[in-house]
Amino acid sequence: METAAVHKKKRKPPISSSTGDRLFVICNYCFMIALMIVTLYPFVNVLAVSLNNAQDSIKGGIYLLPREWTLANYNYILREATIFHATFISVLRTVIGTVVTVFCSAMLAYTLSRQDYVLRKFITVAFIMTMYFNGGLIPNYLLIRDMGLVGSFWVYILPGIIGVFNLIIIRSFIENLPESIIESAKIDGAGDYRTFFSIILPLTVPVLATVALFSGVFQWNSWFDVFLYNSSDASLSTLQYELQKILQNSNTTTGTSSLDGMIQGATGGQQNAVTPMSVRATMTIVASVPIIMVYPFLQKYFVKGMMVGGVKG
Amino acid sequence: MDKNTVPALSRPAADKEPGRMRLFFKKLGQQRALAVMSVPFLIWLFVFKYLPLWGWSIAFQDYKPARKFMEQTWIGFEHFKFLFGDDRFLRVLRNTLAMSSINLFFGFVTAITLALLLNEIRNIAFKRVVQTVSYLPHFISWVVAASIIQTTLSPDGTINQLLVGLGFLDRGNEILFLGIPEYFWTIFGASSVWKDIGWNTIVYLAAMTTIDPTQYEAAEIDGANRFKKMIYVTLPGIKSVVIVLLIMNIGYLLESGFEPQYLLGNGMNVDYSENIDIFVLKYGIAQSNFSLSIAAGMFKTVVSFILLFMANNAAKRMGEARLY
Amino acid sequence: MGKSKRIWLLALTAVVSLSVVTACSGPNNAKKNTGTTEPTSAAATTETEPKQDKVTFKIFNGVAGSKDGNTNETTIGKLLEDQTGVNFKLEFVVGDLNTKIGTMIAANDYPDVLIPDAAIEEVLNAGAFIPLDELIEKYGPNIQRVYGKSLNQMRSKDGKIYFLPIAAQVNDFIPEPEAGAGFWVQRRVLEEAGYPKIKTLDQYIELIKNYRDKHKDENLTGMVSLTHDWRFFATSNPPMHLMGYPNDGNVTVDTNTWEAKTYAGAESTKKWLKALNDLNAAGLFDKASFVDNYDQYIAKLTSHKVLGFFDYRWQVDNALNVLKDAARKDPSLDGFKYFPLPVTFEEGTPDAYLDPPGGLVTNRGIGITVSAKDPVRIIQFFDNMLTEENQTLMSWGIKGETYEVNEQGRYYRTQEQIDKIDEPFRESFGFKYFSWNWPMYNATSTLADGNAKNVASQPEVFQMTLTDKDKAILEKYGVQTYSQLFAEPVPRPYFPAWGFAKEQNSPEQLWEASKDEMTKKYFPKLVLTTPDKFEAVWEEYMKEFGKLDTAGYEKWTTEQVKAKVELANQ
Repeated sequence: METAAVHKKKRKPPISSSTGDRLFVICNYCFMIALMIVTLYPFVNVLAVSLNNAQDSIKGGIYLLPREWTLANYNYILREATIFHATFISVLRTVIGTVVTVFCSAMLAYTLSRQDYVLRKFITVAFIMTMYFNGGLIPNYLLIRDMGLVGSFWVYILPGIIGVFNLIIIRSFIENLPESIIESAKIDGAGDYRTFFSIILPLTVPVLATVALFSGVFQWNSWFDVFLYNSSDASLSTLQYELQKILQNSNTTTGTSSLDGMIQGATGGQQNAVTPMSVRATMTIVASVPIIMVYPFLQKYFVKGMMVGGVKG
Repeated sequence: MDKNTVPALSRPAADKEPGRMRLFFKKLGQQRALAVMSVPFLIWLFVFKYLPLWGWSIAFQDYKPARKFMEQTWIGFEHFKFLFGDDRFLRVLRNTLAMSSINLFFGFVTAITLALLLNEIRNIAFKRVVQTVSYLPHFISWVVAASIIQTTLSPDGTINQLLVGLGFLDRGNEILFLGIPEYFWTIFGASSVWKDIGWNTIVYLAAMTTIDPTQYEAAEIDGANRFKKMIYVTLPGIKSVVIVLLIMNIGYLLESGFEPQYLLGNGMNVDYSENIDIFVLKYGIAQSNFSLSIAAGMFKTVVSFILLFMANNAAKRMGEARLY
Repeated sequence: MGKSKRIWLLALTAVVSLSVVTACSGPNNAKKNTGTTEPTSAAATTETEPKQDKVTFKIFNGVAGSKDGNTNETTIGKLLEDQTGVNFKLEFVVGDLNTKIGTMIAANDYPDVLIPDAAIEEVLNAGAFIPLDELIEKYGPNIQRVYGKSLNQMRSKDGKIYFLPIAAQVNDFIPEPEAGAGFWVQRRVLEEAGYPKIKTLDQYIELIKNYRDKHKDENLTGMVSLTHDWRFFATSNPPMHLMGYPNDGNVTVDTNTWEAKTYAGAESTKKWLKALNDLNAAGLFDKASFVDNYDQYIAKLTSHKVLGFFDYRWQVDNALNVLKDAARKDPSLDGFKYFPLPVTFEEGTPDAYLDPPGGLVTNRGIGITVSAKDPVRIIQFFDNMLTEENQTLMSWGIKGETYEVNEQGRYYRTQEQIDKIDEPFRESFGFKYFSWNWPMYNATSTLADGNAKNVASQPEVFQMTLTDKDKAILEKYGVQTYSQLFAEPVPRPYFPAWGFAKEQNSPEQLWEASKDEMTKKYFPKLVLTTPDKFEAVWEEYMKEFGKLDTAGYEKWTTEQVKAKVELANQ
């Protein structure tokens, strides 16, 4: 197709505006707007519940707007002093974890994209297989403990140095690059290190941004490793873990154990009790807004990036 | 794109003769830099992923966490017998396969379609907004999402009200969507698409950035309209990524997820909602029977490998990109 | 290319600067930590000299309760530390309990004290608890007094005591003023019917039916039932209560023969489901009951549209509180509050909605682990907690601050004190940490001076919580508390049968799991089918149910009951 096009020299105006095309554009925009309504709704709903009086939310029927506005749910979550240090740890693990995994996965992916590399097939298969099995929780726990990683920050980073999914994605991007690029680098006398750092890395920015987003979100949302390995070390707790704690406490706060709360409620004292429903909504907002904010920054690499692939060696 | 012409030299596993061995090491010596960039990760892989595999022995034991490895009682294939011997197993397997196939098919089709359509939007700002908004549901946990779905599908929920309002239903005859077993797969598929369509699109959008813009120009010169460009330029441009992802996901056919089925499932739709993971939870983990969950995991691994192998070979035969 | 280099440079500097920040935050943290301990130690030396060196033990709590922290950061905990020199660092479970306990067992590394909740069998099998017999003998006079002859019930198969159950009955039995369970009905229904005495299920259904028929255009629901996930028992337990038995879970226990019988496949369950089926046919039952989640159920109870339901109070507290609150602000809404009724199948059957005395839940408890540094100090702390003074402290607080005593020696709280004790106060004072999961008197116990251990059970306090409307309606029935409407509980020394420890992966566990699955699947069919098909569906259910080894389960439970009764009678 490309060759056919090259032979044709006649130029048409760049934007053809046939009626069919125009209809397509209109339908497309309508579809996008419909999609946005459907996908925005849950978030709006959660936001409304988080801003609504917890006791009132019990009655249900909150859809787009709060009925009884309040910031009490946010107060309840943010009054915990531990939240701020935990957020810091979350940011730290997200940044370090993402940088490490993107860099390592890209490096390995480059070697695996090299068709002449003698260990290529062996390493590829060895990695892919691990996507489909798991030794189980206890053996993993014992391994981490024996390595002395329990109670350490590095337990968030080391087990995730390479994400196999990310590895494969990056590899197929590199393989998609015009072969001439690597060839010409070789002719220039560039070694593998230089090829990787100065040619592959810059050319794969869109996929690296994608993978960074995937692993960043993964790191940010993780709390199971905190639960397993660092639950008794408050200085290594993360935001998601602290939120999980608050959620579980809210379950019991509203339950029977709160006898005094019952008496107080019964005599008309202001019950500042939250409910699991409102805490869950509020923590969804608290936990997801920071990571959602990252998206627009990464987005430009895969929305605007049309030109990157066009770079010729 | 077809880079399947791998020289025989690069297949160390197949080499038996000492001459070839020497050649292999000689070649490896020449590729020192590549080895330095990959072998450390191989060691990491072995330690973190392969070492814990000793845990699979648990599947053949009457496992008690407190006992040392040597003190465990070995019971052979008892747990596998329990798993496969149960009348429910076939039903649970059917549900797992059905739901993951639905997920696989619709997940791919919708995400690729959305990526293609997004790619056609010329207004960058609008495009960015759509993209950001469409991936929002991914950040809502299944617990919250399921509760929104349950509310929407309830007799006094939006869908029923809409049907009544449009005259398709009489008031009082509202449909109990989650109470009709046959609807469950559809509800599950639609929910999964809704939750992850935007998220799944990202990788395809990234893939589209690698398409050479001159190809579009060329197609335009050929008189291709937007639709044709989509089919003949954009789609082939992301084909290799699509195929690699597809192969990978075919390997996951026995992993149909856990949370949505658990949260949306109930006694009325259990015949269609219960999958392997839920079965294992009920009869394994909930009763501290770790062995059963390991046995189920091993079964899944074996099936995954077979599916993966088949999918990869099919791709190879068709001359497409493949996983390994 | 220059651009992408800049990106990596940026990323790198980000990492470097972040690690610098962490390095700086390190000492900060350390300072914060010592900052909290310093004043306490200073205070301790100036005030009362502790008997022994200060120690801190770790507790892992398998029940989520409150946030992690040190007991000595609370008022109560500080007082207890002054008495014993012992502080506890509490950690509460966050994720899956079995997973957490599993890793502890596999690594053979425990906190000093462990409250394993539902995972107690695994912990015992792992030999993680040390035997307490000698320690109790030497250092536990109060433990012996409080647990008394229950100590025998607490013994493991090898005859030793490995953990202390949470809460034992001490002194006189005082029922909680509010019923723990019942058939609830909107007050306006009772009012319109002239406050009849409702005793049977038929009368209850009649009551609801009549009201609905008179208010046909109000879009009312007769009954809803909670079925969501593990809360399904709210729909499967009523037959037991309707036959006049207390909540023993899957069985009813005859107090003459101590025989345990399951009821999931019995006539009683059929009768209950038939009643629901008829309600449904009459358009009085909410079909969505079988698909609604817990939040939806609670929302329905607060919607004013639901006339009645069966449930345990702790499950519907949230809804009841919302209704109470609304009625206090606007007394005209009082009719939407729910009133509990002691309903049974037969007129003559005494109900058993109030939990009987003598119950000791023996499959939950607190134990000292093999990793504990100083078990003696721990058991001394537990023993010290069980003195009358400290039990008073833990539930009533400090005289003049959180409660008052009148001339007759009765404890009460002023309205200001009640208002003061909100959630943050409960946390900082320590009511929250010490409200549960320690060796303690249970909620139906009394103190030696006759006051209720449980603040809410003290009649003086309870009366303060009643509105005028509440008092009026209670007067109509001639009682002062809601629980007086219910029959007095009959002592059952084994109670509750659901509290019997089952071995992991045992036939009993399997029976329960299979039965749960079956009932969840068939009950909706039985209730929602047309009345003429009810029998056929029941037959189908019976066929499935027949596959279970129910006799084996009953035999096992009966053995457990008899063993417990025998131990209690020793």
